[in-house]
Amino acid sequence: MLKIASVSFGYPRTGPVLKDISLEIPHGAIFGLLGPNGAGKTTLISILSGLRRPSGGRVQGDCRAIGLVPQELAFYPMLTVRENLRFFGGVQNLGGARLRERLDAVVAFARLEGVPDRRAAELSGGLKRRLNLAIGLLTDPDLVLLDEPTVGVDPQSRAFLLESIAALRSPARHLLYTSHYMEEVQAICDHVAIIDEGRVLAAGPLAAVLGGAASLEEVFLGLTKRRLRD
Amino acid sequence: MRRLAALWTKEWIALSRDLHGLAVLFLMPAAFIAIMSLALSDTFGERRVEFAVLGKPELARQLAGHGFRAAPAPPDEAAGRDAVRRGELALVLVVKDWSTSDFRLLVDPSLPQPLLFAFQMRVLAAASGASPAEMLQAFPTEVVGAASGAGRLSSVQQNVPAWLIFGMFFVVLPLSSLFIVERRDGTLARLVAQRVPFPLLLAGKLAPYFLINLAQAALMLLVGRSVVPWLGGEALALPARWDLLALAAACTSVAALGWGLLVAVGARTLEQATVIGGVGNILAAALGGIMVPRFVMPQAMQRWAELSPMAWALDAFHAVLLRGGAGAALAPACLKLLALGAALLAAAFWLHRRRGV
Repeated sequence: MLKIASVSFGYPRTGPVLKDISLEIPHGAIFGLLGPNGAGKTTLISILSGLRRPSGGRVQGDCRAIGLVPQELAFYPMLTVRENLRFFGGVQNLGGARLRERLDAVVAFARLEGVPDRRAAELSGGLKRRLNLAIGLLTDPDLVLLDEPTVGVDPQSRAFLLESIAALRSPARHLLYTSHYMEEVQAICDHVAIIDEGRVLAAGPLAAVLGGAASLEEVFLGLTKRRLRD
Repeated sequence: MRRLAALWTKEWIALSRDLHGLAVLFLMPAAFIAIMSLALSDTFGERRVEFAVLGKPELARQLAGHGFRAAPAPPDEAAGRDAVRRGELALVLVVKDWSTSDFRLLVDPSLPQPLLFAFQMRVLAAASGASPAEMLQAFPTEVVGAASGAGRLSSVQQNVPAWLIFGMFFVVLPLSSLFIVERRDGTLARLVAQRVPFPLLLAGKLAPYFLINLAQAALMLLVGRSVVPWLGGEALALPARWDLLALAAACTSVAALGWGLLVAVGARTLEQATVIGGVGNILAAALGGIMVPRFVMPQAMQRWAELSPMAWALDAFHAVLLRGGAGAALAPACLKLLALGAALLAAAFWLHRRRGV
């Protein structure tokens, strides 16, 4: 279990972004983190990945390796797919047979077999998303943070990515998934939390959060209101 | 070590595929060296000054030499004035009575004062009955501490180190642009999340660019040695102490890398980095005697030039290339460059910690 206990965070100019957030992310489940733009999802992921330190509270859990799949296509467009994977493996101290093994595994997992020697800049949007995912999985991490991993891809690629993410579910792994696509979250997540303006509005197993509502979108709009966000 | 090797490999591949970056680092300084060495060869070397003598034609042969070339004399003084006015002749000596020193010199206003003075001295020497050539031969002259084959500040001896330094400081562009792209695209955040320490990221960037700077130095010296003479200029005279040349290049590189990293961390966009890095370099070059040699600057400007790190680097290179100096001769300039590099690196660290990724 990964515990987020009373975590708060604020940026110097914009003030508090997370206000006393407490969540529990169980092993072996996919945890969906939902919220409108500016709700604090990416900031929470930054804290979980060690990029930022909370100003209050703490994160408890014993994670060996963290795999971050950021919203941006965070790799080198001038490098080939293989060079990108070798680089990100190398900086995480993977080498020799272990690197080859993991490289083969993530290439197969993300179905990148046909493009290892193509420059990343030349890939389609869907392939870029798959490479972004593959890099996050190189160390076979036990905490995978997926920040809107299906943004900007066609329905086929999205379906493939969702299947792949669902296949990552493992008893030894925590998976945190953020998205604006409610139907995606409803389709693959076991637990969800809805946050807005830095606070948790609802959290728990999917069925409990849904209650009697027909869809997660209905719950989401009900809790976060229909006010437009910046 | 594996992590560092991965970072170095990535940086090499990225740079090798950045044609604009390579052009800025290698083609730009090479082109400047070739063009400026040829363009300024007269400024540094013996400028040929054409003169004519009216009223005593045999005097022309006596006054010729050391850059002064005798031209056919115009028919009369009025024609001589016209020739000077049109810029065809720099000097016309009009002799009325040589025995009583009754003569007058017509001078092109664009003739530099030292050259006018030198010609006047030649005329006075001739008037006193001495030959200017014999007088100069009898004047013992020694160029102190000259490197083998150099001996004086020629166009190529000035321009090769100058534009080499300019090119070395331009690592700021490829270094900062990749760093900004890494930050913008979330790659830097991903690396930090993968527990890659910032000092390791920096070492991964600085070592390849340090080697690039040394490669620039070697190639630009080669351009001065081979390409400039092939184009009709003078060949660069190299010193016996290559190690000192490498030391001057290494110290220059430390300052250039510190500057590059500070711009990389400080600039928020590629445009900012290009403007700050590029304009900063051009200003430092203009002030530091890269574009205009310091010796032609007025005294006040020469004092201001001392503020430019490019001037320090040029001092270090001149100490080796021109004066054949030992390590002690380089020390002041090298220490200033190293101190600046360390200060800029420290500032980049501080700024990065303050801002985060």
